Amino acid sequence: MNDVLDCCGLECPAPVLRVRDALTGTALSQIVVTVDNEAARQNVSRFLEHQNYQVHTAVQDGLFLITGSRDGVVTTESVCVADPVGVYPEYSGRKIMVLVTSAHMGRGDDDLGDMLMFNFIKTLQEMGPELWRVAFVNSGVSFVAGDSEAVPLLQELVASGVQIRACGACLAYFHLLETLQVGEITNMLEIVTGMKLADTVVTV
Amino acid sequence: MSTVPPYLTRTVKGGGCAAKIPPGILDKALCGLDLPVDDNLLVGLERADDAGIYRVSDELALVQTVDFFPPMVDDPYSFGQIAAANALSDVYAMGGIPKTALNIVAFPSKTLDISILRSILEGGLDKMREAGVVLMGGHTVEDPEIKYGLSVTGYIHPDRIKTKQNLLVDDRLILTKCLGTGIVSTAIKAGLAAPEVAAAVSLSMATLNRMAASVMGAYEVHACTDITGFGFLGHLAEMVVGSGTGVRITSAAIPLFTDVLEWAAMGLIPAGAYTNKSYRGGVVDFVDGVPRTMQDLLFDPQTSGGLLIAVPAAVAEQLVAELIAAGVVSAAIVGEVTASPVDRIVVQ
Repeated sequence: MNDVLDCCGLECPAPVLRVRDALTGTALSQIVVTVDNEAARQNVSRFLEHQNYQVHTAVQDGLFLITGSRDGVVTTESVCVADPVGVYPEYSGRKIMVLVTSAHMGRGDDDLGDMLMFNFIKTLQEMGPELWRVAFVNSGVSFVAGDSEAVPLLQELVASGVQIRACGACLAYFHLLETLQVGEITNMLEIVTGMKLADTVVTV
Repeated sequence: MSTVPPYLTRTVKGGGCAAKIPPGILDKALCGLDLPVDDNLLVGLERADDAGIYRVSDELALVQTVDFFPPMVDDPYSFGQIAAANALSDVYAMGGIPKTALNIVAFPSKTLDISILRSILEGGLDKMREAGVVLMGGHTVEDPEIKYGLSVTGYIHPDRIKTKQNLLVDDRLILTKCLGTGIVSTAIKAGLAAPEVAAAVSLSMATLNRMAASVMGAYEVHACTDITGFGFLGHLAEMVVGSGTGVRITSAAIPLFTDVLEWAAMGLIPAGAYTNKSYRGGVVDFVDGVPRTMQDLLFDPQTSGGLLIAVPAAVAEQLVAELIAAGVVSAAIVGEVTASPVDRIVVQ
């Protein structure tokens, strides 16, 4: 399966940093990046080549689809996906960002907290299109990796255009990098700038 | 990552000379304009030189230039210094002596503290003081993006103007500052530049070309320009195209900032470098073996870059030695003027 990273609308050096963060701690055999300008195309291609990926670029609807491949085989299907995962029309209304800082909700009993947090994630879709991004930090990253029951729920959110982000340092700390199931790896810079971009930040 | 408030670079889209309108597009706006004719206009728009020159008498001409841009460093005082050094540079590149200046300021006074503007202006004033230039006034407009620069007027003797033209075969080309300010600025934005590299680049951009110009003044200089937004090869192309000569550049001799080649390899290259390459790449031949990272670097847009000076081969080494002794420590011979291929640049 391909990871598709949407870097449209970003200016240098942001696309390169997004690609670098996506590759940090993981050994993807193939990555597909979409960008919308020539400088970003060149820079992302240079970065992937620098990371020993073979690079192939296709143009589609005015966007560049850059495929970096480590096994040397670039399949046409993977490059010319009609509706690449992760490329959505930008929602222009209010943006809500949810920051999940723990595996448990609230203080008291952790078992109860686990159940509450799972229920919270399950109910997040009720926020509707205003839900823009959910970022998981500290023990919260347990929801996006391994055999967490929240994974299919979060995949549904991704399918409806919500951005799921997981703190890379936290995944590494809990040894969950290898088993990341949903969303993209992020860092503190993106979390902080995301807070600035969002109209409302909800921390649980 | 060094992120000390107020993060000036985060408030703007493109900083420094990288924010220039691309040359190919600018040509479309200027082409066919009905320009006034005056016998005393010694260097005007049609020559696309560093500054305009107007003859007042047989002994005296005015050099005039204007330059301003959004911040490329986070510290307001440093930004003020760099913007002023960059604006003054065009006068030095013509062989003139800057005398008076006017501030040009755009500032979002509703969203940023006015003390930031004060620091920018202090940085600019300090450079003007160093250059012996008097600030006569200025103009400030409300704008969502910070921009600062100067309009500068200087003196020059009408017979001692150093233009971009008049390269002679066998001249040597001397560059007086390291290349890579655009790539380093991109690395700073990416949070990858070590503080000491960022500080070294900031210092270089804030350094006046005054000393380099003063040392060069005693030599028989055939042509001179300063390296800014169009990059090393972009500005060199302006010297070469139409000169009837060619130029051979030795890329290994080009002075570079620490780590820039590594950052270029990682794709931390400002968009302006690609614009410069697509505009002027057609007149440049890279000999096999010149790595792509070096090719990118030679088109990297520079902010407040060094002078590029053409002098006879016989005096080139002496001039470099004198520049280094005067504190222009990065000065180096980077190429030579050749009889052929005419109007082209060969990089080896």
